Parts: sequence; structure tokens; C-alpha cells
Amino acid sequence: MNDNTKSKETILSFEKLKQDILRPMQNHKGLELWIVFLVTVIAVCTWAYYVQLRDGLGVTGMRDYVSWGLYIANFVFFVAVSLVGMLISSILGLLKVDWITPISRIAEIIAVAFVAVAGLVIILDMGRPDRVVNVLIHGRFQSPILWDVTVITTYLVISTLLLILPMIPDLAICKKEMKNASPILKKVYNILSFGYTNTPEQHKHLHKMIRTLMVLIVPVGLAIHTVTSWLFAATLRNGWDTTIFGPYFVAGAFVAGSAALVVAMYFFRVNYKLQDYITDLHFDKMGKLMVAVCLVYLYFNVNEFLVPGYKMKSGDSVHLKELFFGSWAIMFWSSQLFGNILPIILMVNKRFRKPMPIMIISLFVIASAWFKRYVIVIPTMLHPHLPVQNVPDHFKHYFPSSIEISVTVLSFALALLIITVLAKIFPVVPICEIADQKGIDYKIEE
Amino acid sequence: MKNLSTILATLVLVFAFMNSASAEDWKVSATAKKKLNPYELSKKNISSGKKVYQTNCKSCHGDPTKANMLPLVPAPTDLGSQNFLVQSDGEIYHKIKTGKGAMPTFENTLNDESKWMVIAYLRSFDKNKKKAVVAKAVVNPEVIDVKIELNVDADNKKLRAQLTGLKKDGKRVGLEGIEMSFLVKRTFGQLDISGEEAYTNANGELLIQFPTDLPGDREGQVDLLVKLTDEDNYGPVEEKRVLSIAVPTNPKNPLDERAMWGTRANAPIWIIASYVLGVIGIWSVIFLVLFQVFQLSKMRVKS
Ligand code: HEC
Repeated sequence: MNDNTKSKETILSFEKLKQDILRPMQNHKGLELWIVFLVTVIAVCTWAYYVQLRDGLGVTGMRDYVSWGLYIANFVFFVAVSLVGMLISSILGLLKVDWITPISRIAEIIAVAFVAVAGLVIILDMGRPDRVVNVLIHGRFQSPILWDVTVITTYLVISTLLLILPMIPDLAICKKEMKNASPILKKVYNILSFGYTNTPEQHKHLHKMIRTLMVLIVPVGLAIHTVTSWLFAATLRNGWDTTIFGPYFVAGAFVAGSAALVVAMYFFRVNYKLQDYITDLHFDKMGKLMVAVCLVYLYFNVNEFLVPGYKMKSGDSVHLKELFFGSWAIMFWSSQLFGNILPIILMVNKRFRKPMPIMIISLFVIASAWFKRYVIVIPTMLHPHLPVQNVPDHFKHYFPSSIEISVTVLSFALALLIITVLAKIFPVVPICEIADQKGIDYKIEE
Repeated sequence: MKNLSTILATLVLVFAFMNSASAEDWKVSATAKKKLNPYELSKKNISSGKKVYQTNCKSCHGDPTKANMLPLVPAPTDLGSQNFLVQSDGEIYHKIKTGKGAMPTFENTLNDESKWMVIAYLRSFDKNKKKAVVAKAVVNPEVIDVKIELNVDADNKKLRAQLTGLKKDGKRVGLEGIEMSFLVKRTFGQLDISGEEAYTNANGELLIQFPTDLPGDREGQVDLLVKLTDEDNYGPVEEKRVLSIAVPTNPKNPLDERAMWGTRANAPIWIIASYVLGVIGIWSVIFLVLFQVFQLSKMRVKS
């Protein structure tokens, strides 16, 4: 197997590289059908959002006690997944881990799509979205909400830059090669390639900027998910009132993000026929990376639940018993089992790090990560410090309404659509970086 | 006709059976029986118990010792009768708490203190309780237009109230042995400053020492309400007054200082600084990079 890839690599020419990567962008029937499907889903679900906008948040399952429901759980999930951009292209990039080159752009695309939709999910959760600017006009510096809005916007901008800047040489190629692209797209390539011709001077200049951004995104990426955790941890509520929430969220985000990346890698490899670039080796390495981040996450989970579970303070005990043995037990334990423990056990085994098995494991990890966020948000809301009494019965339970579910589907479809469109107009695998890495000479002409 | 009486008789029997069945399950455990009223049988407690009784119990049980209860089956007991009062404090307490049949449960509707006050009131009818202090029976003449007149000696912080009424012959006389409440408005509810034995003397007068250390507002003002503790005899009679005899205070508005809970303008400096510097720091790098990107095209080789 190894020998096989090597021999392929040696015959790799820049021409072939270019063709392999640009071909799926030009003619791909399935992709267009997929886009039509996503747009339909979005159109249908937008109607659900319209109903919510027209009738107010009363159409959701949220009431006085559970005022953070499915939307906020989903928001935390989206923020978590978006952190993969910072993990792969920045942390591993700065550490000069070279196998990430072909998948770093996919990671960055996921980051941009998910953080953009995360910001949108917050607006979808508002009964009066027209008042969103009030956060900026009247926002208090003491409020984690202001910090969150700030840091998400910042992360989105830096992620977008980290998607585009490393792509400049590739876009210069697209400008020349993509003869039958639409005029608008040609214009986009023209503008975004910034007249790049790969002079040594330009090369050096560009990479200096990229490195600056890679350093810059580390604190911002940590901040985005730490601040998201502070939305909870800064509130004195059982289950949220914990000092490790920041790193706990970040660790969980690395797990969810890596899993999302593996799934995306698998689909691009199969659909774009990129087997030569996204190889078994990459899945193997991602598997090892996931085991590592899962172990860190497991360690945080043990801390997060063993310490209060040992003490069982009166408020905590109600909450923890609900999670461990009560009505949340199935969701709680299956998210721990399928999202953390089983993946570790399976993926230490080489066989499960092959593309197909690891993709399936990743799907479980993603689903578990999503449910884990749900279990973080809602049970705590159901247990305020003052007893819930003399309220209508439906205040005491929470189940998302069909409107809420539709709007959540909308957010997923939107994120997938953004990823698909980006992968349609931009090369998903960096052409020039691979050529650089493999020592293949190339020229870019104006 | 015969049928009707049969049905009635059956109904009565059924009811009787149900009652005897339910009478059995008003079980009071030995420990519950042993509970003692933690409140003493002072005039004060008895009169506040009376108040609770009148609003919560009288409608069914009638007046104690008068046996004028509602005609229910089973009848609500006359709670002032000696037959009833042989029960221990704990037993009565338990019954008030749990209720049974038509007798409602007062577990949540009355707090513990009120429950014990009612029991103190009922005990005041107990001939065997020598301790019971019952207000001296004073017979006041029949009067109308009952008034409270309040004189304030601000220097010595003394309050003198006089309770008078108009006799039939047009003469205003003092009313003796009537309990009055002196209540000062606080943030949450009223503070009772009347002390233990707030009964008017033979002239209808009552002298109260205003607490020397009670804080008021910036000018030392407090809202005072003087009223009859028991509205039974003369109806609600009260006198309201704003007094400037409390200790002036300078209450601090917690929103005036820089704090986490403050308005945006009152955010702590360090948090404003961290936020602003963080945003400026990160965004200036972003703008720097953006600016640099546009330099790229200047470095290109023209072909
Ligand atoms: C809705 C009518 C009603 C009200 C109001 C009510 N009771 Fe009763 N109470 C009853 C009835 C009827 C019984 C007899 C129950 C039985 O024997 O099954 C009873 C029985 C009792 C008994 C037990 C008497 C015994 O023979 O042992 C006590 C003590 C008592 N009530 C106290 C109170 C007190 C104190 C209050 C007010 C705080 C109160 N009740 C208010 C209807 C009422």
C-alpha cells in the first residue's frame, strides 16, 4: 500500500495535480443536484422561521424556565465544530505538522461555514431579531453576551482570511485555467488572486501574513469557545457553575470538529475522486488525533462529573441524579459512550482508522456531540434554585416544537450549503502548497 | 314517600360509615403528639392567634365556646370546648397541618408561627391551663366614632396614643384595655414596635418608646401606622403619620458604584480596558494583514 502511494507521488506532475483538483469544480452533476436539494430544504424551513417571526417565540417549546432550548444547544454545537479550523490549520500548521496540507482547506471551509451559521443561529433564537444591534449599542462590557458577539465576528473574519490568503496562488491558477467559469466567478478569481505571480518576494510576503494570522487565531479561537462556555459558567446555576467549563468546551470542540472534518474528508475524497491526495494516511492520522483529543475530553468529563458527583451538594445532586439515573440518563450516557469512550476504544485499533470505519465512527461522534450540548443546556434550565411551583404544567418540561426543529434543520442545511458552494467555486485541496511540499516546480502567469 | 325516607336513611348510614372510617385515619403519631407550642401564652400571641382564627377558621368552626359552627357532617368541632382542649398541642398542630375531609390542610397556607398562634389562642379557653393570661375583661361604654390621637415627643422618642370614642350622650371618653399595634414601614413589611403589653390604660392612653437606634431615611423619617390590633370591637381604626424621629441614614445605591452588576457606564475599569484593548489589538492586526494583502499585487511580475 505504502509503496503504491509513493510510486504515484513520483509521477505526479503539476499538470496532473491541477487537473485532478480543478476537474470536479467544473463538471459535477451530483453536486448541482445536492445544491438544489439543500436550497429546497432551506426554502421549506424558512417558512417555519417566518411563522416564528410572525407569531413570536411562543411557537417554540421555550417557556419561562427553559428560555435557552434547542437553539442555544445547537449554537454551542456549531461554535464547537468551527473550532476545527484553528486546530488543524493553525495549531498543527504552526507546529509544522506536514500531513495536514491537503486537508487544511477543508478544515478552514468548515470553520467559516459553521461559525457564520453559529452567529446566525443566535439571531434565529431572538424573538425580535431587529433588535440585535442593541447588543452593540447598549451592550454592557460586563456581559459575556457582548464578548461572545465580538469574538464570533472576529473569528469569522480571521477564519475567512485564513481560507482566502493561502488560496491566493490557487486562485491565480483558477483565473487562468477555469476558462468556462461564469463571468462573475472569473471576476472573483481575478480580485481574490491579488495579482499573484509567485515571485519569491510575493511568496515570502504572503506566508508572513498567513503565519501572523495563524498565530492570531489561536487566542481568538480559544476565546470563542471559552466565552461561549462563560455564557453558562458566569451564571450561578447547578451544572454550569464550574471553573473548568472553558477548557472543557474547547476539548469537546476539538472532538466535534475533528469528527466533522473526517466526514467532510470522506465525502470529498469519494465525490471529488481525490483518493490520491486525501489518502488512507490522512484518515489514519486523523484517527490518532481524534483519540488524543477524545482522551483529553474524557479527562475533562471525569473531572466535570466526578468531583461534584463525589460531593453531591444539595443543588447539584438533583441535577446530577437526573443526568445519571433520571430522565436524562439515556441521552447523557449514550453521548458519553458513543461520543467519547467507544471511539477511543475503537480507534486505537488501526483497522478502525481506515476511511470507511472512521467516517462512521465520526458520524456517531458528531451526533453525540450534538446531544451532549443539549444535555448541557436544558437540564440545568429545568432546575432553577427556587423551586418551580404554581406554574402551568408545560413550563416544567421542555420539548422542542416542530418549528424549532425545522429552524434547526435550516441551520444545518445552510452550513452544508455554504460548504458546498465554497467547494464548488474554490479548490478544496491546496494545489500550490502540495506542489511546494512535494518539490514540484510551477509557474503562475498573469 | 317511603322510598324517599329509605334513600335518605341509606344516605345517612353511608355518610356515617364514611365518617367513622375517616375518623379512624386521623392518626397522630406519638412523637407528633409530644410537640409543644414553642410560643408562650402571652396576650400578644393570643391576640395574633385570634386574628388567624378569625380569618381562617371561624367560617366553619364559629366562635370558640359558642358552638355556632357550620352544620356540616361531621360537624366542625367547637375548638373552645373543654372536650376538645384535652388534646395535646402536638395533636392539634398535626390536625391543623394535615386536615381531613371537609377540614382543609393548612400545611402550606399557614406558616408554622401562625399555626402555633392559633393554638395559643385556643389554649386561652382552656380552664386547665393556669398559665393562660387572658386580657382583663374591661367593660367599656358603648361608643361611636372611635379615634386614635397621636402625640409625638420627638426629643425623647416617645409616642403617646389615645383611643377615644363618642358616648351616646356626646361625651368623648377613653377606651381601656384595648390592644394597639405600632408598625413602622421597612423595606420588606412592617416592624412591630409596640412591645409586649400594648394595652390602653383607664384614660385610653398608651405610651410607646420609639427604638433609639432604628434607622430611617436620609432625613430620619419613617412611616408609622398605629391601629387597633383586633378589629373585632370597633372595626378598622388606624392613624398614619410620617415621623422624623429615626436615625438618619445615607443609603448607598449599589448601582452608583463601578461593579459587575452596574450599568455599562459603571462597568469596572479593568473590564472595559480588557475588552477595548483586546478588540483594538486583534483588529489592528487584522487590518494590518488586509492592508498587506493589497501590497501583493505591487510585487507581481508583469508578463
Ligand atoms: C372548610 C371548613 C373548615 C375550616 C375553614 C376549618 N376547619 Fe377545622 N374542621 C372542619 C371540619 C368539618 C372538621 C371535622 C373533621 C372530621 O372530624 O372529619 C374540622 C376539625 C378540626 C380539628 C379537629 C377537631 C377534633 O375534634 O379533633 C381541628 C383541631 C381544627 N379543625 C382546627 C381548625 C383550625 C385551627 C382552622 C383554621 C386555621 C380550621 N380548623 C379551619 C372544617 C373546617
